Amino acid sequence: MDLLLSPQLLAAALIAGVLYALVALGLNLIYGTMRLLNVAHGELVMLGGYVAYWSFALLGAGPWPALILSPLATGLLGDALYRGLFRQLLANSALAQRIEANSLLLFFGVSIILQNLVSLAFTATPRGYQPFAAMVDLGAANLTGGRLLALFVAGIVTIAAVLLLRFNTVGLAIKALIQNREAASLAGIDIEKLERWSFVAGFAIAGLAGALVSMVEQLSPFMGFPYMIAAFVIIILGGLGNLTGSLIGGLVLGLLETYGVALTSPNYRSILVYGVFIAVLLVRPQGLLGRARIVR
Amino acid sequence: MFKKWMGAALAVAGLALAATATAQAADPVRIGFSIAQTGLFAAAAPSQLNAYELWKEQVNATGGLDVGGTKRPIEFVMYDDQSNPEQTVKIYEKLITEDKVDLLLAPWGTPMHFAIAGVLEKHQFPMVGNSAASVQLRDLKPGNIWFPTSAIPDRMADELAKMLTANGAKTAAVLTNQLPFSLEIKQFLIPALDKAGIKVAVNDEYPPDVKDMTALLGKVKAANVDAVLALSYPNDSILYMNQAKEAGIKAPFQFVLVGPTIDFFGKMFGKDLDGIVTIGHWTPAKADWPKAKPFFDAYVAKFNANPDYLDSALAYMSCEILQQAVAKAGLDKAKIREAISTMTFDTINGPVKFEGVQNVTTPTSFLQFQDGKAQLVWPPEAATAPYKPRT
Amino acid sequence: MKPDFRLLSAFFFAAMAALPLLAGDYYQGVGFQLLMWIALSQSWVLLSGLTGYISLGHVVFYGLGGYLTVLTWHIIPLPLAIPLSGLAAALFAVLIGYPVMRVRGPYFVILTFGLAELVKYIVINVEAALGRFGRLMMGAPDLSTLYWAMLALAMAATLLVVFIGRSRFGAGLRAIREDEPAAETAGVPAARYKLAAFALSALIPGMVGGLVALRTSYFEPQQIFSPTISFTVVTMAMIGGSDRARGPIMGALFLVLLSELLWANLAELYMIILGLLLIGFVLFAPTGLDGLLRRRGGR
Repeated sequence: MDLLLSPQLLAAALIAGVLYALVALGLNLIYGTMRLLNVAHGELVMLGGYVAYWSFALLGAGPWPALILSPLATGLLGDALYRGLFRQLLANSALAQRIEANSLLLFFGVSIILQNLVSLAFTATPRGYQPFAAMVDLGAANLTGGRLLALFVAGIVTIAAVLLLRFNTVGLAIKALIQNREAASLAGIDIEKLERWSFVAGFAIAGLAGALVSMVEQLSPFMGFPYMIAAFVIIILGGLGNLTGSLIGGLVLGLLETYGVALTSPNYRSILVYGVFIAVLLVRPQGLLGRARIVR
Repeated sequence: MFKKWMGAALAVAGLALAATATAQAADPVRIGFSIAQTGLFAAAAPSQLNAYELWKEQVNATGGLDVGGTKRPIEFVMYDDQSNPEQTVKIYEKLITEDKVDLLLAPWGTPMHFAIAGVLEKHQFPMVGNSAASVQLRDLKPGNIWFPTSAIPDRMADELAKMLTANGAKTAAVLTNQLPFSLEIKQFLIPALDKAGIKVAVNDEYPPDVKDMTALLGKVKAANVDAVLALSYPNDSILYMNQAKEAGIKAPFQFVLVGPTIDFFGKMFGKDLDGIVTIGHWTPAKADWPKAKPFFDAYVAKFNANPDYLDSALAYMSCEILQQAVAKAGLDKAKIREAISTMTFDTINGPVKFEGVQNVTTPTSFLQFQDGKAQLVWPPEAATAPYKPRT
Repeated sequence: MKPDFRLLSAFFFAAMAALPLLAGDYYQGVGFQLLMWIALSQSWVLLSGLTGYISLGHVVFYGLGGYLTVLTWHIIPLPLAIPLSGLAAALFAVLIGYPVMRVRGPYFVILTFGLAELVKYIVINVEAALGRFGRLMMGAPDLSTLYWAMLALAMAATLLVVFIGRSRFGAGLRAIREDEPAAETAGVPAARYKLAAFALSALIPGMVGGLVALRTSYFEPQQIFSPTISFTVVTMAMIGGSDRARGPIMGALFLVLLSELLWANLAELYMIILGLLLIGFVLFAPTGLDGLLRRRGGR
């Protein structure tokens, strides 16, 4: 019982939840606005991680430059990919018909290329680093510096993003875009500019998540897959296109991972996570906060 | 006039000499293998591939591999098995029947070794294994595959229990990743601990994609055990190192299965790694093994990173064994088989001799990190430094 | 000249049947893999190609079938165990199919993935509880036997797609793909048809899984439930064409030949070329090789 009520466990749940939410947020911005199934999302996290590692190793200024450099790098990549590939896909009406299937394949190709380019460039040898050797004693809970930083940065960014998108004009425009692309265009919203910025923002956020993750995990070219899976599970769980939903979904996953395990047993961790996901979808086929469609 | 003829004669003689010299420049010895360059195991395989490359470079620098008296340069024929055993089977069939390589080296990983055992058996092609460890190895027919490792689960369980007893541990926590190797060890470990009278206060498993161990480690902390045995893989080993520290686990004996021997792990955890015990039977610190330190230094010089104390050492050992067998037996498969089965080999890990498929000379050992260096701390007779409880 | 696919396919399968008599172990192995991918992709097309419900978890049937074969190894004779494995996979599909097929679009995509992972972790736990950690299967049948069994499965899967594709059932499935509410209004029993497609698509993969487990003679849940298999199947079907039986044959053949040709080079290079090809296909040939050929006047 002590354990269940401990602040340490709560902190762990929050960190897990908020990191999941951050990764999912980036994906939702791309999927929700443009229905592009970004299966390369994990590779963006991986890239962000590598940029962070190299900036730490080469610049010697601690982990801080990475928080800017990683999202910058992946954001720029996003811009290049948008202009080079995806703008074409979105504009071509024949392709846009089966946009999920087509974007799935496009991004799958991108993900394979990214993984293998990085493997060629840096070899598959795993790397890791610790920016903060010291532990931070928060009184009730102890956290390693890296985890505390992750909690802080991921927490701030996700909440800021959700608030921004709720109350800001750009945010409202994005919501309009998510709800009904044609109507939004008729209402005078510059669709292409908005799509481009969502795309870039989604990529940048993934890169930031990668930078945070790199401080507490080993880096290797093929590490992205689990992040991509988690991101998809969360955005589906929360309801596609609903950014608040993905925040909630991320937190639910984080809570399941910690409290679910504490209440049952560690063996069941993945069974719980996937089990709950499937159960929710079977009961509510549109996710927790997604828009309902008539389903029989 | 004479000078002209002389010159011509010399020229012809020179050409003839050059011709015979190139004719005698030996053809390469082709050694085939597959390695996981992409996929699930890609992060683990470089430590093995690097050892292979280092060996090839060193041997070729001396003129080549000694094949029953003649030196021939080594050429690798390497394929990516994509971390897929089915692919590995296909590759080894190709190496043997299509590429017709002269010798074989092993792929990375236990599933791969098992998968190709049948192929080796069918074509009667001997190969020295390395990165595989399971009691099921003993079920394989000897004669075409051998395993130099001493980190076999049942022996490890016994030795670990003995080591704990020797250091006065009365209680233990066993945390197991649900992957084959770690599960196999646990299966032998729990009874071994029971037999040794050590109370197992926490005995939990977790899936390989775990992302947080706080709940589990909180339980371990509350149990206040003398020994924490984390049968973990690199990703969860990292989780353990960080989160055990957060949870304030102060057990004097802490064992982490896979991870500590990898180069990046030491760099990531620095001083925190000191005191951690892990599997391994090789260390450059052992003076009795004159080849050990030079291998370590050569690896560091070539790759700018430490070798993996387990995988890189084993991979290199398998090369040395092959090298010594071929020097004696040439390329004839039957003779190589005979050589590997009977010779005692001189490796970076000391002497190695096989009985059936297993290495019977190298004892099952454990390493402990002290001041950033890997020391052999068990068994006591073979230790390079005494075991120190973790503070 | 329009390529007559029936003739070509017949010739293809005949050639594959003759392969073990002509070629060595290695090429038999390649052939075995090719047939495996054809069998899996055809069964995927049966579900996802025809109904438009894209599944990313097809490996779940393959893994379940494989597991059953492994569990009954040396207990039930193989000629019984393999079909049983297929039936077990189909039964599983029937049990969960109704609620699962209520989920649509991208939700369905990720649901199927989640399902495959869930089953994988359940099997991992079951194996751990049984004290099993990777099973060695000694005494498996030799390659030629397994090869011909796989050939039979590939042919069966292809014929299944051909006949269903031409049947009323198939027309109903395609109607569901085009516009489900409209199809229902027109009288198509959508829920029942979807369930049937789901179950049928599980049958062959279940048997394929068993054969592959025997071929590698080593079973481990992580390997047999690997998501890469699901992804490869989808890729092959999309490259070849996911509407008709000829698509998966072309897609599988194309990818297997490509990998054979590029193998000698760096592994990463092959993967990068594959990635570029995928991108090229989407931008220039979105209906796959089948679509390309149709456009050029083939039939």
